[in-house]
Amino acid sequence: MEAYRQEIIVGAVVIYMIFCVITGLWAMRRTKNSSDFFIAGRGLGPIVVSLALFSSTLSGFGFVGGPGLVYSIGVSSFWMIVISSTGYALGFFLVAKRIRMIADVRNCISLPDVVAARYNSEAVRFLIAVTIVLGVMGYLATQILAMAVVMQAILSGIEMFANIGLITCVVISSAVLIFYCVTGGIIASVYTDVVQGAIMMIAGTLILLTAMSVFDGGMQEATSIILADDGEAMMPFGAAGIMASLGWFFVFGLGLAGQPHLVTKMMMNKKISDNRSILPMSLFGYVMAALLWVSIGVIMRAAVIDGVISPLSLPDDAASVFLSVFTNPLLAGIVFAGLFAAIMSTSDAFLNIGTAAIIHDIPKAIRGHSIKNELFWARVVTVILAIVAASFALYSHFQDATLVAILGAFGWGTFAASIFPVLAIGLNWKGATALGAISAIVSALLINFIGQLAGIVLPYGILGGLIAFVVSLILFIGVSLVTKKPELDDDMEAVLNI
Amino acid sequence: MRSKLIVVIFTTVLIMAGLLIAIVLADYVPNGAGFPHPEFNGMQAGGDGAARLEHIGDLAFTFQCLLLLLIVCLATLGVAEQRRSPELWAYMGGTLLFSLFVWYQMYSGHQAFLETGTTNYFMGFPVATAWQVYGTWLGAIPLIILYTVGFRKFIFTEEDERKYEQLLADIAARSEQ
Repeated sequence: MEAYRQEIIVGAVVIYMIFCVITGLWAMRRTKNSSDFFIAGRGLGPIVVSLALFSSTLSGFGFVGGPGLVYSIGVSSFWMIVISSTGYALGFFLVAKRIRMIADVRNCISLPDVVAARYNSEAVRFLIAVTIVLGVMGYLATQILAMAVVMQAILSGIEMFANIGLITCVVISSAVLIFYCVTGGIIASVYTDVVQGAIMMIAGTLILLTAMSVFDGGMQEATSIILADDGEAMMPFGAAGIMASLGWFFVFGLGLAGQPHLVTKMMMNKKISDNRSILPMSLFGYVMAALLWVSIGVIMRAAVIDGVISPLSLPDDAASVFLSVFTNPLLAGIVFAGLFAAIMSTSDAFLNIGTAAIIHDIPKAIRGHSIKNELFWARVVTVILAIVAASFALYSHFQDATLVAILGAFGWGTFAASIFPVLAIGLNWKGATALGAISAIVSALLINFIGQLAGIVLPYGILGGLIAFVVSLILFIGVSLVTKKPELDDDMEAVLNI
Repeated sequence: MRSKLIVVIFTTVLIMAGLLIAIVLADYVPNGAGFPHPEFNGMQAGGDGAARLEHIGDLAFTFQCLLLLLIVCLATLGVAEQRRSPELWAYMGGTLLFSLFVWYQMYSGHQAFLETGTTNYFMGFPVATAWQVYGTWLGAIPLIILYTVGFRKFIFTEEDERKYEQLLADIAARSEQ
């Protein structure tokens, strides 16, 4: 079996991609209007929503960047994962019930729709939509690039594809993604998420079991090797230190409730009461999948320090080297399929919310109404958005990484800082005003953008995203407290009372 | 009347901002956020942990205590005002104490390691790190239990559901007129 390692891996990935295409064709028949395309007609069951929610949370970053981070900075990066239970809990306490109710009451199909209804403000809708589009471009470009790099790595191991180029890999992987997103919209997206989530959970569990068998003394031997080399790397704050760690705790914990691709999924369940089972199921799935992040990172750092394997060229090689050295080909195939699943499940969610922002929300904010024949234009814009993001990715790789890096700044941290106060607090506090919301969004965008452009580095590893988040929270509540309490429409008043 | 809870949240965030400013202005420690590992390219090392915490340890400890308070306050904000009973406040208070206990065990375990250079292990990790990995994750479990088990009591009661269905019916009736 070892002789056919590459063929088995490629086979697993090809089977997974064929599944995505078939799902797209199946979902196309169920997609009859823009509500189906963007929020699946608010008719999904709890298991589907749970798996879609957690698989969208854990992107390719979790499968490639996560183990790489543990290899690089030790335990510091654990903070991004261990906070998941708090993050999911806050997301459900603050957002899940009311976003679903407002979606029903006002027939909303996007997050900007919800905030426009809550604040009775097209300016808030516009700013949230622009934030989403900027963030989506950065996220999508990096995800597509990651997908292509991994595809090139596994295909080049087969003689027939030894010289395959990165552009070809971008085209192949983007084509599959575009196909099922265009044909089936969010319905295809969430049903592929179900399988993607299942693959990720299986991969995480099997990798943990494999990782524990690398050293005779299991995980404890690995952590003691790291501890002996550099105590701080294996202590709770890792090599990056206490403030970087607590910054991640803040931004990833509270910020989950501000991620547009995740909270949008909270609008899709059939019944509000399903939320009580969606929360624990999502969290369970996430924890199972995230086992891969922790176990590969720890084992690879220990294995290099102990001389079991050679030092890695790049920290991000941690997962691929682990798979080629320590796993059997079948497991490697499942994990590589899981990696594509992680990347695609996040990419399709971003593609969907980005398209909604462009064809539905920005026109509505500017002209007062969205464009005609939304379903047709949704499909057209999905293709265009994916092509532009893929072009950004290639431009970044071959010419200049600055553009994608700047757009990348509009990632998790910016979404957290600009959307969390407006949505998570705004849905639970009647005193929140449109001016408070605008101040929070603008400050979050400016601080992140300027911080990225100027390359500002704060002492003790304090994150720019943490500063942006704290400032936006202060401005949101402070400005709302000093401005006139808004008069809510009757239906909004009723929703906020429940 | 303004909600007192939002004032507590606002005050907490303001104090946290003050702590961040104090940390930024604290005495500089070389490699406070790590440095390249001397032997292995691509790895970072932490070095002298005691030195890294010398000027900011107490500030950072307090920052995290306030963050845990903020999390519990935000979760409480997510419960409708009329459902914030003494029972809920007591439960949330217990959740906060549990989170603070986990944080204290983690921080003091790290301090003990810095003083002695030795540590015990629990389920594969040094004790302080085990508090981080298992304890932090479990720290939110009381909130998840409250949401799932107490859903019909605190989050979305039968009465809430009736009101919501009535609201939808009223909207549908108005749109038909």
